[in-house]
Amino acid sequence: MNTLAAWLIAAQFARRRTTSLLSLLAIALGVALGYAIHLINDTALADFRQAMRSVQGEPDAIVAPRDTTGSVGLALVEELTRDPAVLVVAPVIEVRVRVDQHALPVRLIGLDVFSAPAVMPALLPEGREAQASRAILDGGVYASPALLAKLALAPGDHLSLWRGNSRWPAVLAGQLPGSRPGDLLLVADIAWVQAHFGPPAGVGEARIRLAPGVDATRWRQALAERLPSDLLIRSDDDDSARVSNLSRAYRVNLNVLALVALLTGAFLVFANQLTAVAQRASQFALLGVLGLSPRRLMLQILGEALAIGLPGALLGLALGHALATAFTQTLGGDLGGGYFSGSAPTIIARPLPALGFLALGCAASLAGAAYPAWLNRQQDLAQALKSGFAEETASSSARHLWLPTVLGVLAYGLAQLPPVGDLPLAGYASIALLLVMGITAAPWLTQRVFAAGAELPLAAHQRIALQNVAQAPLLAQVAASGLIVSFALTISMVTMVSSFRLAVDRWLDEVLPAPLYLRGKATPLPDELLAALRQPDSPFARFEQTMHAALALDVQRPNVALIVREIDRDQPEARLPFTGAVSQPPPTQPVVWISEATQELYRLHSGQRVRLPLLGREIEVFIGGVWRDYVRQFGAIVISRSDYERLGGRFAASDLALWPQAGHSATAAAWLAPLAARFGCEVADAGEIRQLSLSIFDQSFAVTHALEAAAMLIGLFGLAVTLAANVWLRARELATLGALGFDRHMLSQAVILEGVLIALVGLLIGLACGIAIGAVLTYVINPQAFHWRMTLSVPWPSALAGAALTLAAATVASRYAARQATRLPLAQILADAQ
Amino acid sequence: MLSVADLAKRHSGAARPVFSSLSFAVAAGEIVALVGESGIGKSTLLNCIAGLDTPETGAIRIGRAQTDIVRLDPAGRAALRARQIGFVFQAFHILPTLSVEQNIAVPLLLGGVAANERAQRIEALLARVGLSGFALRRPATLSGGELQRVAIARALVHKPGLILADEPTGNLDPRTAGEILSLLLAQVRAEQAAALIVTHSQPLAMRCDRILTLTAEGLR
Repeated sequence: MNTLAAWLIAAQFARRRTTSLLSLLAIALGVALGYAIHLINDTALADFRQAMRSVQGEPDAIVAPRDTTGSVGLALVEELTRDPAVLVVAPVIEVRVRVDQHALPVRLIGLDVFSAPAVMPALLPEGREAQASRAILDGGVYASPALLAKLALAPGDHLSLWRGNSRWPAVLAGQLPGSRPGDLLLVADIAWVQAHFGPPAGVGEARIRLAPGVDATRWRQALAERLPSDLLIRSDDDDSARVSNLSRAYRVNLNVLALVALLTGAFLVFANQLTAVAQRASQFALLGVLGLSPRRLMLQILGEALAIGLPGALLGLALGHALATAFTQTLGGDLGGGYFSGSAPTIIARPLPALGFLALGCAASLAGAAYPAWLNRQQDLAQALKSGFAEETASSSARHLWLPTVLGVLAYGLAQLPPVGDLPLAGYASIALLLVMGITAAPWLTQRVFAAGAELPLAAHQRIALQNVAQAPLLAQVAASGLIVSFALTISMVTMVSSFRLAVDRWLDEVLPAPLYLRGKATPLPDELLAALRQPDSPFARFEQTMHAALALDVQRPNVALIVREIDRDQPEARLPFTGAVSQPPPTQPVVWISEATQELYRLHSGQRVRLPLLGREIEVFIGGVWRDYVRQFGAIVISRSDYERLGGRFAASDLALWPQAGHSATAAAWLAPLAARFGCEVADAGEIRQLSLSIFDQSFAVTHALEAAAMLIGLFGLAVTLAANVWLRARELATLGALGFDRHMLSQAVILEGVLIALVGLLIGLACGIAIGAVLTYVINPQAFHWRMTLSVPWPSALAGAALTLAAATVASRYAARQATRLPLAQILADAQ
Repeated sequence: MLSVADLAKRHSGAARPVFSSLSFAVAAGEIVALVGESGIGKSTLLNCIAGLDTPETGAIRIGRAQTDIVRLDPAGRAALRARQIGFVFQAFHILPTLSVEQNIAVPLLLGGVAANERAQRIEALLARVGLSGFALRRPATLSGGELQRVAIARALVHKPGLILADEPTGNLDPRTAGEILSLLLAQVRAEQAAALIVTHSQPLAMRCDRILTLTAEGLR
């Protein structure tokens, strides 16, 4: 039996070499993309966690302020040190500083040389312990090898470290041999850092190692209950979850794109196997007559699919590994998503996920062959042996509208469901159902279109051809389904991307009101720079300052950005793109305006009063409105500088929006450039920022355009293959028509007309499904995965141009099928049919 | 070897049965011709005997064990066909993608015959049907007569007890038809198998041991 199966599989490959190879490659591509994305993310996450651990060690608990401008009081550190359950407490202060005239911000970590070895061994300086300790206590700083290389520094060099107005000399005492490649770090004594850069009465974090035998979970719970509200306690697991959450939605979205590639592979196997089954119906029937059981016949068809899927998946694994390596070298560990900047980890494959992707590739292939195998099983052996594939066995109920209607209603229902664990799983299921809905609606529409076409004043041979397809639309459905799936996916992506781009374009108009912007790259701007801008000879009429901090509202989620702006609390709509009405705050209460992501992640709403961990205490604030933010998907909160300072906050701007005086637009940038360079700042005009933002946007969607093109090619290929197979299946009918007086030109015309009309059906359904899926992507997937909301905007000119182009390509594909029809040995076919 | 008892068949929705109360037997080594007008139900009867169609009532017992194929499920029928029945068709039905020897090997593979024995049997049969040296040829390179020789070899290679042939010479010219018929009858007799041959050809029927005529009233 196995020998027979092998012979038949080999024969099938030899006969359908091109289609089998393309199916194999499509499966390989799907597996490769999925596996590459998995490998990159898995490795990048592990690498990022490793990097985090190398800096913060592996403490059992970390006590930190919820507001990044806050601190952990020294009294609490003392109290923790005295706790018998605690083995060691390592206080840490971390700030961003600049070194000399270099623009690059560098992490300066202040640590206690006596407690750090137990918690953060990777941050220990080189050299003998006593000597290094003495050097660090004397104000020496240690740099990671990567920083030394980057800034061309060497131990013994004298440095100038500065942050805002603080500028201090330091001596580079040595290296940090335990730091990871690529880490740009400076390490100094915590007291030295505190004295120079603050905070004055506390530390940034307290990293805690518990005594052996202490139940860490219980200890953390007990401490959390008595911690002041402005502090939080988190564990290593919380940090891992936070890192994972950073890129989770982006990762899932990329994986779904990979699944689309796999789906197109499965579709190719489907088209390949269905046409193979239809072409070989009498051969399969013969095997059944000779004694091959129905089950073995079905297994034979599935086995042929597996013979495509297994090598395809194996090739996909190899290709995926190569792609992952290439991508991490060129785009970094986050594939350009911006989540783990600078990370270019080494790809390490693990057997279990590899087996999973291998199984996925095989499953896609088997899924593609399942329906053809089932259809073959329904064939009557004696009938199939005599006349080949008989479509009549396909259920006529498939031509009714009830199935697509039910699927459409289900898809709509799923699109209304909330996310599961912050992921739009129901939305993805809704998209899958919409695709199936389109395919199941094809026979009904095919019947209508072809029946209506047959009523047109056409030549007799064309009318007969149309009537035939109207009566037996199964293969037309198969031919159209490739176009339905590929065109729907293309239209949906084009619609979503177009809607998104239009929304981002309009949003940039609102968030970039000033002609010029200056960024301090996460370090406060020095007073000297601000004073220069206020000088009478400054070409600027005015400028608005912004300060950036962050709040930890949930230990397992990335921090929410806190943006302190010079903004009129009574007229915030002049600066923020609100999504709805702005609520007037009570005169005495601080007001904040939250982004859509904050609203959705933390279930807040406009007009609500909430308590936020601000400036070392919990403060009740009024939510004045919800604004649109396409940058910070984990949330942002804006507060006015006046409210912030009234609450006791120390405003230290890091960004500026600048308005040049009338007539000085051209000279203002030139005047500002050297000043900005002196303080390591970046300057860009609104046009440059807009162009850069849109070009980043376009780059991030470039991969989807490549997939769209691949999907369309596969759809057209499926159409060509199925139409050609259709010619073979209808060979007797065509031969009979030939005997009745149809010449080859007439046969060719009839086949082309059928092909074009089938493509038209596919494009019509694909367009409708594509817009529906585009709506799901725009209104469900984007808001639920990334908290980006926008209005649907169908790019009709592009969509119609795409449809026209596809129809032209479909005509070419139909010509290929028509050529097959004209090459049929009509006399031989008629003779065989006797 | 073949025993048909009280067989009746009616197509779904049809007012009249195709046939009813058919009973006959074919002994081992006996060759029976089944003749009748077109559309009278000869092929339907053959399909019922092969387990490809299901009769309304009656029994069809095949082989020394007299297994009733009507009572078997599709897998059981397939297994019985693989062991006990050889087929020869009017349209040859040779798998075009397999070589001559691979085509003949199909029943042996279904029966799980070992590779050595398979090769010996195929070689011997190819010689008996006059196709020595054709083992590796592709069906597309063979004439109609040669294709039917391959079909006869395939029908006999697993030593079935029953040969079912449906118009085995219908697609051949008179000279080739005569040669093929001689070959088929000789080989069937050599194997001591029972054979039921559906035909419209009077000369063919005359060369069989017995003729059954299917009419609207039943078998004569």
